[in-house]
Amino acid sequence: MTTIAASGLSVATPRVVVVPTVRVSAPVRLNYPWKLGSMNRMVVVVKATSEGGISDKVEKSIQEAKETCADDPVSGECVAAWDEVEELSAAASHARDKKKAGGSDPLEEYCNDNPETDECRTYDN
Amino acid sequence: MAVSTIYSTQALNSTHFLTSSSSSKQVFLYRRQPQTNRRFNTLITCSQETIVIGLAADSGCGKSTFMRRLTSVFGGAAKPPKGGNPDSNTLISDTTTVICLDDYHSLDRYGRKEQKVTALDPRANDFDLMYEQVKALKSGVAVEKPIYNHVTGLLDAPELIQPPKILVIEGLHPMFDERVRDLLDFSIYLDISNEVKFAWKIQRDMAERGHSLESIKASIEARKPDFDAFIDPQKQYADAVIEVLPTQLIPDDNEGKVLRVRLIMKEGVKYFSPVYLFDEGSTISWIPCGRKLTCSYPGIKFNYEPDSYFDHEVSVLEMDGQFDRLDELIYVESHLSNLSTKFYGEVTQQMLKHADFPGSNNGTGLFQTIVGLKIRDLYEQLIANKATARAEAKA
Repeated sequence: MTTIAASGLSVATPRVVVVPTVRVSAPVRLNYPWKLGSMNRMVVVVKATSEGGISDKVEKSIQEAKETCADDPVSGECVAAWDEVEELSAAASHARDKKKAGGSDPLEEYCNDNPETDECRTYDN
Repeated sequence: MAVSTIYSTQALNSTHFLTSSSSSKQVFLYRRQPQTNRRFNTLITCSQETIVIGLAADSGCGKSTFMRRLTSVFGGAAKPPKGGNPDSNTLISDTTTVICLDDYHSLDRYGRKEQKVTALDPRANDFDLMYEQVKALKSGVAVEKPIYNHVTGLLDAPELIQPPKILVIEGLHPMFDERVRDLLDFSIYLDISNEVKFAWKIQRDMAERGHSLESIKASIEARKPDFDAFIDPQKQYADAVIEVLPTQLIPDDNEGKVLRVRLIMKEGVKYFSPVYLFDEGSTISWIPCGRKLTCSYPGIKFNYEPDSYFDHEVSVLEMDGQFDRLDELIYVESHLSNLSTKFYGEVTQQMLKHADFPGSNNGTGLFQTIVGLKIRDLYEQLIANKATARAEAKA
């Protein structure tokens, strides 16, 4: 058995094997000693794309498109450049809508999309 | 709806685990009963029918109003997959999964710039993968679908998509590839006329720094050749086309606020009965505003007629103008026939439920809602049909 288990834990079933996922040098003091086996650390990756980023991209792409098209208005590059502008504008508008909708209250935002769920039902009388 | 048969058998040493054999669609559940000493093997065989709906639209993916209305008709709200890529284009509700066809781009934004092709070009899309995955989902197999990140313009790591009851594929090319077209149970094409497109894009983009009237115009003009060559021809394959045109009620209107919307419904499509006004197959022109109903300017005008569209027999229901009040909506609904509603006033209820969505006061919202109800009807008929066929096969 491990040193941690030797500190006087009473384990429910004799067949449980505690495999320590964390090696610690100092004695570990836990509020819930039976939770030792599940000491996982959750890593939350938040991918936040700022709205300013997309707007800048749109602006840059418009400038690029204008430059590319100044040489030859019907070339593939020109068309591809304007297509990129269109794609980025659409993404920017989606981001703006999301920001407008979700800025205030997360519950509001959820209820706007799902008015029939239990949390969002309203009763008028 | 799933038909499942459950068998219980004895099993040997087992703990909690789940395996699924995709070819036979069987799920093995091993469960240890703590109370008794006997352990059971539970074998569940499920067969789920998935219907596939295709929606061709130029306006980006997934979060469009049409999709939200459609998923709302089926009940439940469609949300992006939990815990996944936040820039995922997929929407999932209890019954419906909406897949954005942009995820099947074979070239990302940089690749397209290099190859000098637009996203509309078939060379930028992987139709083989699209066909394989839609086929897999239709037959009840989960797939790892790539994600096209619209923000970065790159192809992200794939996400797992479970086969839903209703699969909607939305994007630029749902009906382009013949094999994918054959998989579709119902297809819709959203046809926005150039004037309306211009007006909408102005509204959308003028707030954006860097955009001007000229740049918006140039963007539309530049994409037009590819659009006309690759996207527009899909119109002829659609079972329903929603055409959005400028209004005829206001002379020289260029704001695009009041719209004339035409719902072109193909005749002879299995499980799809077109909506009609007063008398099926006849030509009707109807202005509901008068003595019983007062409307404000510019009023409402309806038209219904049989027609021919790309050599197909079609029925066209047209609405010009906009709704101002609830009673106008309910009045109109009470005069339309074959709406596939489950109760009187369902169309009005759905429109009111999403009164803040764009198009809620004109034909776009009305016809999108009606198409949603038609799809629900188609789904239920298909399921009922398959169930009786299975029952007959067993007997």
